[in-house]
Amino acid sequence: MASLLRFSLRRFAWSVPVVLLASFLLFWAVRATFDPVAKLRQGRDAGAVQREIERLGLDRSVPEQYLLWMKGFVTGDWGTSTRTGGSVSSLIGQALWPTVQLMFWGVLLAAFVALAIGVYTAVRQYSAGDYVLSTLAYVGISLPAFWFGLMLIQVLAVWPVQSLGWSEPPFYFVGLHTPGQSGFNLDYLRHLALPLATLTVTLTASWSRFARTAMLDTLSSDYVRTARAKGVPPLAVVMRHALRNALAPFVTIVALDTGVLFGGLIVTEQIYSIPGMGRLFLQSLQAGDVFVLVPWMFVVALAVVFFNLLADVSYALLDPKVKLR
Amino acid sequence: MPDFLLARRRGHTALIAALLAVGVSACGGSSGGGGTVNGAGGGDNASSTSDTSASSAARGGTLVVGAEQEPDCADWIAVCAGNIWGSYMMQTTTLPTAFDTREVDGSWTLVPSEVLAGEPEVVVRGGKQTITYEIDPRAVWSDGEPISSADFAYTATQIRDGEGIFDKTGYDQIEKVETPDEKTAVVTMRSTYGPWRALFGGSYSLLPAHLLRGKDRNALMKDGYSFSGGPWKIEKWQKGNSVTLVPNDRYWGAKPKLDKVVFQFIPDTAAAFQALKSGQVQSLYPSPQVDAISQIKNGIPNTRVEVDAATGNLEALWMNNARFPFDSKAVREAVAYAVDREAIVERLYGPLGVEDPAQSFVTPLVGAFAGSDFSRFSADPAKVDEIMEADGWARDGSGIWAKDGRAAEFSIVSLAGNKRRELTEQILQQQLGEAGFKMTIANTTPAELFGKVAPSGDYQLGLWTLIDQYPEPSLSATFSSRSIPTEANGNSGINFMRARIPGVDELLGTVDRSTDQAQRRAASLEADALIAADVPSLPIATVPNVLMTSDSIGGPVSINPSEGPWWNLEEWTRG
Repeated sequence: MASLLRFSLRRFAWSVPVVLLASFLLFWAVRATFDPVAKLRQGRDAGAVQREIERLGLDRSVPEQYLLWMKGFVTGDWGTSTRTGGSVSSLIGQALWPTVQLMFWGVLLAAFVALAIGVYTAVRQYSAGDYVLSTLAYVGISLPAFWFGLMLIQVLAVWPVQSLGWSEPPFYFVGLHTPGQSGFNLDYLRHLALPLATLTVTLTASWSRFARTAMLDTLSSDYVRTARAKGVPPLAVVMRHALRNALAPFVTIVALDTGVLFGGLIVTEQIYSIPGMGRLFLQSLQAGDVFVLVPWMFVVALAVVFFNLLADVSYALLDPKVKLR
Repeated sequence: MPDFLLARRRGHTALIAALLAVGVSACGGSSGGGGTVNGAGGGDNASSTSDTSASSAARGGTLVVGAEQEPDCADWIAVCAGNIWGSYMMQTTTLPTAFDTREVDGSWTLVPSEVLAGEPEVVVRGGKQTITYEIDPRAVWSDGEPISSADFAYTATQIRDGEGIFDKTGYDQIEKVETPDEKTAVVTMRSTYGPWRALFGGSYSLLPAHLLRGKDRNALMKDGYSFSGGPWKIEKWQKGNSVTLVPNDRYWGAKPKLDKVVFQFIPDTAAAFQALKSGQVQSLYPSPQVDAISQIKNGIPNTRVEVDAATGNLEALWMNNARFPFDSKAVREAVAYAVDREAIVERLYGPLGVEDPAQSFVTPLVGAFAGSDFSRFSADPAKVDEIMEADGWARDGSGIWAKDGRAAEFSIVSLAGNKRRELTEQILQQQLGEAGFKMTIANTTPAELFGKVAPSGDYQLGLWTLIDQYPEPSLSATFSSRSIPTEANGNSGINFMRARIPGVDELLGTVDRSTDQAQRRAASLEADALIAADVPSLPIATVPNVLMTSDSIGGPVSINPSEGPWWNLEEWTRG
């Protein structure tokens, strides 16, 4: 346990310079491409631009500005959005929650289904089921999210109303709740189903291929052969010996992809009108709201680094061959 | 994505142009040129006000409207002023104004609202104009406090003297506001001001002094506010999701028939249309973009579509009169004859039944002040050749006009990603190419276009939309030479094309200052004729507005070009 803690701390320490470097590069890139006072430059008050430049310290060098910004970020002062006039931290906080909900359910469902498919197709390699599921996986990987999302809406929400004459659609596709509703209830599930399906199809498809490959690898290993030779029941061979070892690479890829999802749900959130991180990014980008863009990117970078760390630790936990050093 | 770039004339600042560009993707429209398209996608030209109350409408019920944009905030005089969606959803429905935009004898006019006891008294004495507003004794805020002269004084001073105010036009002419009694406000202007009816009623509304005075107005309003002086009040603004309105029980006018109206934010056009088809929303106000028009053309079952072509939104080709080749009047005129505007309008809006190009830079919302002098410009290749040759141009080996070693080549700038604009540019490219002009497309972002490119005059040809937001003529901000953005005038004005047309400044000054409507109209028509004669730019089309409502909606459903599609929401019912 102590060695695991030391391992985790060492990995965490390595993450700090990565995060700092990433944050500086992001800060520099956004400063180089956006003018923080562009909106004011269009006004008739020429003095307002200079006043704002001085107030925000934009007349200083980029490294100085970065240090100022980082100090504010660490102390909880993430700045004010030029688009809404509200606090950036609360904007990002509000946007995180719907994204985290989608991610949580999406990753949970996709990981479970992908693992099941991976195990089945590996155990039944070259069977009809393997071919069918493998083909479906390739189709799932190549499906554009926006198209698939719209198809789901058409088939599962619009057609039942228009063609079958239902008074209301079985699934909703605007937001995560009907206005006025909240909490985990049927309304939530009816809103969650379609975005979740859109999100999980691609994840499930690609993860199932990883799971299959990892399982095939372990199923052909010597210790599995030995276990079989010793008369261990087939189910136990798969579940106790093969799956345990196949989990390490699978969990790694799931963790890495999960980190990326923090900022990668733009299409899903746009189609299903979910006010998450993806939509916040789009709105801020369109408005040139640099005071949101920089912390947004930094939060996403932090998430990616965190899940990388989690992947490392999980790998170490699941694979006894990895030495915790 | 914002759908059109818009610049509003009254604003006198490029800031306004850019703010509107970001804030607007659907614009007000009038019923003047409107029509009703049925659910099968066909069209007729019936009145755009469709009274569907004959259906089994009843009191009560909830209406869900799909809103393609969420307002950024709700401080309607500063950071979030000019956000059309915010204005339509929340400002118009909850805050009182002194004047409302209503159709009178076929023209949109500012008329005294229910806040006023009658028409204000206007006196001009010693070059100063005094306006006396008598407030209806029944007019109260939602907390029961009377709407008073103090509210007029507070609103005027907040706009005139405030920091970061969106547009001070008109209010900067206010010398003082006196409050002889609770229900009488006397506003004294420094000089005569023609569009005085737009005060406390154009873009801005009255604010409750008793709740806001001495406090941080922006902080109290930006996330929504609980007070109301209109038929509705904001029950809840669930950021990112919806705004819910409920009736203001203390409203002294006609009471809302619905129990609740929910504006649900659906930024994706395709999803919004699916939401309408599946009954998740009962009304949409989509931007007339290519994909939306295509969906309407295909037909939406059980849905009424109101199309309104007589709007306050004018899309035009803006030629930079200070840059080659548009510094030549001959080239400007030849380009005007080279562009087939009818074909463009037919291609863009034909499925909505809109076919006629705009013939004036004064929009139909201000139709009484508009001429039709641009009607002489229709596609005429022979005329192009005649004008260019007379000016010393000759076609080179590739068929492009050239003079003194310079070819008639130019670029056009508009908003990247706006499909309607991009389609327009492609059509223009083809038409102009056939006429001997080589045009390249160089689109950019709203901030770049309205923040830098247009104000600095760093373009040759531009394509964007201007808005008249209320029925008062305002050509001076666009065509007066005093409105060319320079450091000397603090970069105010949106005469981005650098037009200097002899005689126009004086005429537009008369339109702005005179309180005699007939004199203003005559001056406006004369200015319009001078502008068309000089061809500083070319109007293409007024952008139609589209309102879609489910058959289950009753009431007089129509689009008000100034106040939006929900201007009379209190009369709507659900069947």
